[in-house]
Amino acid sequence: MTTTIIIFLPLLGAILMLLLPDEERVVRYSALGVAALPLLLAVYIYFAFGDDLGVLALSQDITWIRSLNIGYRVGLNGLGFGMFFLSTFLTVIAVLASWDVRRNLKQYFAALFVAEVGMLGVFAAQDLILFYVFFEITLIPMYLLVGVWGDENRRPAAIKFFIYTFLGSTVMLAGFLAFGILAETYSMDALGGGGGLSRTAQLAVAAPILFGLLVKVPAVPLHSWLLDVYVSSPTSTNVLLSGVLPKLGTYGLIRVALPLLPQGVDPFLPYIAAFGVINIVYGAFVAFLQPDLKALVAFSSIGTLGFILLGAASGNAVGLNGAVFQQVAHGLYSALLFILVGVIAARTGTRRIEDLGGLAARMPWAGGLLALGALAAMGLPGLAVFISEFMSIMGAFATFPVQGVLAALGIILSAMYLLYMLGRVIFGPIGRPAYEEIGDAGPVEMASVVPLAVLLVVLGIFPALLIGLQRPAVDAVLIILGGG
Amino acid sequence: MTGQAFLALLPELISTGFLIVVLMVGAFGESNAGVAAGLSAIGTLAVFASAAVLLATGFSGSFFGGGYVVDGFALYFKLIVAGSAFFAVLAAARWSGRTGDAPEYLTLILSVVLGSTLLVSMRDLFGIFLAIELATIPSYAMVAFDRSRRESAEGGMKYLITGVVASSVLLYGIVLIYGVSGSAMLPEVATAFTGNLTPVAVIGLVLMISGFAFKVSAAPFHFWTPDAYQGAPTSAAAFLSVGPKAAFFAILLRILLEGMAEAAPTWTAVMAFLSILTMFVGNLFALRQRNVRRMLAYSSVAHSGYILAAFAALQGGGVAFAVQAVLIYTAAYAVMNMGAFLVIDLVGEETKNYNGLVRTNPGVAASMALFMAALVGIPPLSGFFGKLWIIIAGAQSGSILVYIVVGALVVNTVLSVPYYFGILRNMLLEEPTTDTARSKGTGAVRFSVYVLAVLTTLFGLLIIPLSALVGASGLA
Repeated sequence: MTTTIIIFLPLLGAILMLLLPDEERVVRYSALGVAALPLLLAVYIYFAFGDDLGVLALSQDITWIRSLNIGYRVGLNGLGFGMFFLSTFLTVIAVLASWDVRRNLKQYFAALFVAEVGMLGVFAAQDLILFYVFFEITLIPMYLLVGVWGDENRRPAAIKFFIYTFLGSTVMLAGFLAFGILAETYSMDALGGGGGLSRTAQLAVAAPILFGLLVKVPAVPLHSWLLDVYVSSPTSTNVLLSGVLPKLGTYGLIRVALPLLPQGVDPFLPYIAAFGVINIVYGAFVAFLQPDLKALVAFSSIGTLGFILLGAASGNAVGLNGAVFQQVAHGLYSALLFILVGVIAARTGTRRIEDLGGLAARMPWAGGLLALGALAAMGLPGLAVFISEFMSIMGAFATFPVQGVLAALGIILSAMYLLYMLGRVIFGPIGRPAYEEIGDAGPVEMASVVPLAVLLVVLGIFPALLIGLQRPAVDAVLIILGGG
Repeated sequence: MTGQAFLALLPELISTGFLIVVLMVGAFGESNAGVAAGLSAIGTLAVFASAAVLLATGFSGSFFGGGYVVDGFALYFKLIVAGSAFFAVLAAARWSGRTGDAPEYLTLILSVVLGSTLLVSMRDLFGIFLAIELATIPSYAMVAFDRSRRESAEGGMKYLITGVVASSVLLYGIVLIYGVSGSAMLPEVATAFTGNLTPVAVIGLVLMISGFAFKVSAAPFHFWTPDAYQGAPTSAAAFLSVGPKAAFFAILLRILLEGMAEAAPTWTAVMAFLSILTMFVGNLFALRQRNVRRMLAYSSVAHSGYILAAFAALQGGGVAFAVQAVLIYTAAYAVMNMGAFLVIDLVGEETKNYNGLVRTNPGVAASMALFMAALVGIPPLSGFFGKLWIIIAGAQSGSILVYIVVGALVVNTVLSVPYYFGILRNMLLEEPTTDTARSKGTGAVRFSVYVLAVLTTLFGLLIIPLSALVGASGLA
């Protein structure tokens, strides 16, 4: 019941938003309150039930559509809890970081909270159809967040986003339905290990499901919808767009494709690992070429998603733990970078890297945190991303050595463009005389980035806080995969 | 008439009673628009309530020599017809009051209700034909009722002419079937439609299906639909596209399953062909429309194609699911399509009327956005569940042809995104202009739109009792 309450609390929040008076302070504080409640409950779950998350905890199983054997089945385990927590956390951050949204603030927050319902639901769903329903609930609010509140290029971006991901998820639904019809249930619990499907049947079912999930990530040849969407979105939408939405795809890979269709996914694993490497290397190269700071961060974000694919495909304990961990670490660092890009653009009025420069002198806090985020992105030890990227690569070495080596090379590439970016943007001579006037990040902006930085450091030093939680659940997946 | 037979006819007796009263109000009072509308609204609710009570008490049986049957299946469709008629009455009340013929127009709605509720209970082919005519003849007048617009008369004329041709084709088919089987009663027709069909039987079957294809606007017999729906008063288009249409689908299902189950290989192939053609024609033409009414008319053609996909799946292991799919889809379609049509009354029929609507009229814009998303089939809105059932039924049917139909349905779902989302885009992403509608329409229409939007949104909860109902509907 607790899980259900947390999932649907933001929906009540969304309705509340629409009923509020048009007063900006009231709206912003109420939104913060609405966003904080699920976070507090998630923290409570972490401390009260953290040790129980090896198997499904706080679960609920209600028959929804009896004749089709579809149930409202939700619950939390170590695989999903990290992202479940991060979704509530990043929603709070997104509310804080929404200073660049001025028009129709109530509706903006309402859309944000409806999207949160979908995100939380995906990470708690234990039924394939319910998983799909929550997966799609995010679609319309995200379309609106980009399309209504984005920059001047928002309309084509929003429509592209919708068409691509709707096509992907429709194909995925076809796979789910075929799976459920063959196995005669949609319960993820009952479907573990393949639900009695033959190898051929698993293959046929896995192909469309993997396609839908990889579009959502996006894996690189399927990514063409992404750049416009990321660049056109308001800052706070970016937080969810890069922090949580790609993980609907990777989580689906880890929670649905691997343990439910082990034999069907098996032949695809080398390709998924290769997709991961392509993401890492391609993301790094293309990020290098971007004149726009936000586009650079966007491609950096796509690139490091590759480590999740790589680790998940490795099929061993180190790699898979790394992948699950990277989902959270990636969300923290990409949210941090996107918000700081927003802060810098708001001050300087530009996002062109060559027009920026020497900002560290004028905005030491924002510049320092940008450096922290960039160092995290290149996998600096002591920060959370290092742990997971390292584990993913170690896992990949054991299974796919070539992909592992190439991914390690990708880290060097990413260090190059990130250091270049830091050198241009925050160090060196002041880019324009006008920048002498700008001030550092204000209290609200700091409040939105400092918690991210703190978590990056804390998880970098004490990864066991999260890995201890996810390991029993990851082991259960590995037993199904036969990797032990 | 025995007590049981009286109960069996209760919804129809109630609608007949209100029909007469409303007509009298029109005949004997000058300015009784409000009274007539109130009585009609109560009448449709009473029909709804009587059908609901019969359903809740598990009333069933066949009457009048087996020609009239009351079961869960029939009562379910009576609920859909009466429910959609209620919203049509609300939408029509003020509009028809202005023209000064409110009682006449409302009487027409009630006659369509009477015909449609009788229709879904018929088990005799000639009774079926009479009930169809009782439901459609008033609908010709409804379409042509808006005398202030030329399109209304034009649409009504086209609808009348094609409708009469369709009725004669249907009747010819029924006569041939009668000739082959020697009886018009479905159980006895079933004894003739076994083994290898005679050519006459096949011609009768095809003619009858063609007649129905006209009535449910399936391609290639759909061409009256855009003109009729564009010309018709909004309440007429909204009602005719969901209420009577659901009844036509229902009785076609009963004829095919009770009268011709053995001939399923023949008619499922016909249905598969009709379904694919109808989906593509509906969606491809809808993509080109600038007029929202016309777009929704082609959209309703496309949705007929989706429902026909369930008819194609009436074979192998898919029969039970396919029957449920038709029941769920017609209910899901009723709430979302009715809502979308009624929004036209509030906003207007040009796409440019919708520009920036979210700023001038956020409640209506949000409702329309929900209807559009539901018509695409995005979960958890109503249309998703209809499509889910059809896909599952198709997958269980075990026929390659049906798999192709299901594939076409998925392709068409994606194909339909641009035109539904064109409206969404205009409403949400564009700036308001001078063409943007400021609040039009009446409070009753606004109320209906909001109620239908809530039903569309919460369909995921409604599906729990609905799926229990359709599981026990008594057919197949």
